[in-house]
Amino acid sequence: MFCLSELEDTVRVPPDFLKLPLEVAIKKVLQKLFLDKVLSIGLCVSIYDIKSAKGGFVLPGDGAPTYKVVFIIVVFRPFVGEVIAARFKESDSNGLRLTLGFFEDIYVPAPLIPRPNRCEPDPYNRNQMRWVWIFEEQEYIIDDSYQINFRVENISYPPVPTERGEEDAKLFAPMVITGTIDDDGLGPVSWWEGCSERNNEDDDT
Amino acid sequence: MIVKANAGTVTNFEVLDLLNSKGASKDTTRVMGLKDKVSSSEYKVYDYLMETAASTQTRESVTKFSDKCKDFKLVKAEILNIINLRPSSDVELTPIIEKPDEREIDTEGILELVQQLLPPLPTLESEQEETENAEQEETAV
Repeated sequence: MFCLSELEDTVRVPPDFLKLPLEVAIKKVLQKLFLDKVLSIGLCVSIYDIKSAKGGFVLPGDGAPTYKVVFIIVVFRPFVGEVIAARFKESDSNGLRLTLGFFEDIYVPAPLIPRPNRCEPDPYNRNQMRWVWIFEEQEYIIDDSYQINFRVENISYPPVPTERGEEDAKLFAPMVITGTIDDDGLGPVSWWEGCSERNNEDDDT
Repeated sequence: MIVKANAGTVTNFEVLDLLNSKGASKDTTRVMGLKDKVSSSEYKVYDYLMETAASTQTRESVTKFSDKCKDFKLVKAEILNIINLRPSSDVELTPIIEKPDEREIDTEGILELVQQLLPPLPTLESEQEETENAEQEETAV
């Protein structure tokens, strides 16, 4: 789910960083600029390495040197079809929301939850809806007791909203992953523990 | 400016290794700014990865496994998925491998190879302990 990307950028190193070795100073500035930010290529997770740093010229009117830096970052960008282990975060009538801790905008919309299913108000949490899968007269609840494996269906980067929506609009998510749990081996891991025989029955789905 | 959007995919293990080399495992108090080498968002990634198969893997086992996978006609994406998830049963392999019968893929053989070469997943008990500790520490931060 991670990959390396090479970027080039013009980096201004504030004067108070200059007591540090150059590489450390540049890394610190890059971390502030890129870490935990979503770029067009995905979510930047870590600075991997600096390939080169040139320049160091001080522009007129500025007290800080500017470098042209070529560097490599670790990016979180799953590919479509990748199976990822996540945890349940919350659910509502539209579907489920899963989280990886460092990334929380994973949605499994209702059509991608195995059918037949039903959605009912959660008895433990008034604000939530709970999804239950019904298979062979057994009910399987989807909640936070187990790790949930899902497969990536789509990744989208909604454009930054320019106008303020309604007062209670959800926080803007610059990167949204849509996943599915509607296949053998997906969904809460407890569903599949010790059931390789059942797999043969499901082969015609 | 992006020079190369994809300079290589990395397994979860390699990212965990990178974070460890920056000192993520050593700074147990996680006081921000003290070491300043691992940021809080990197710690979130570290915590996630420690709960997955990557936390028990070694560079040697991962490299050996990818080499041997070449005998099984898998594509790179499938090998990556298997290393990251460490499936232990046939049903866990199902969402990872597309049309195994048409491609005549030896899923039994792959599972055996996983058992042999890739270390088992971290146990649930230690997982719970770690998440509890991490949660306590994160609220302190």
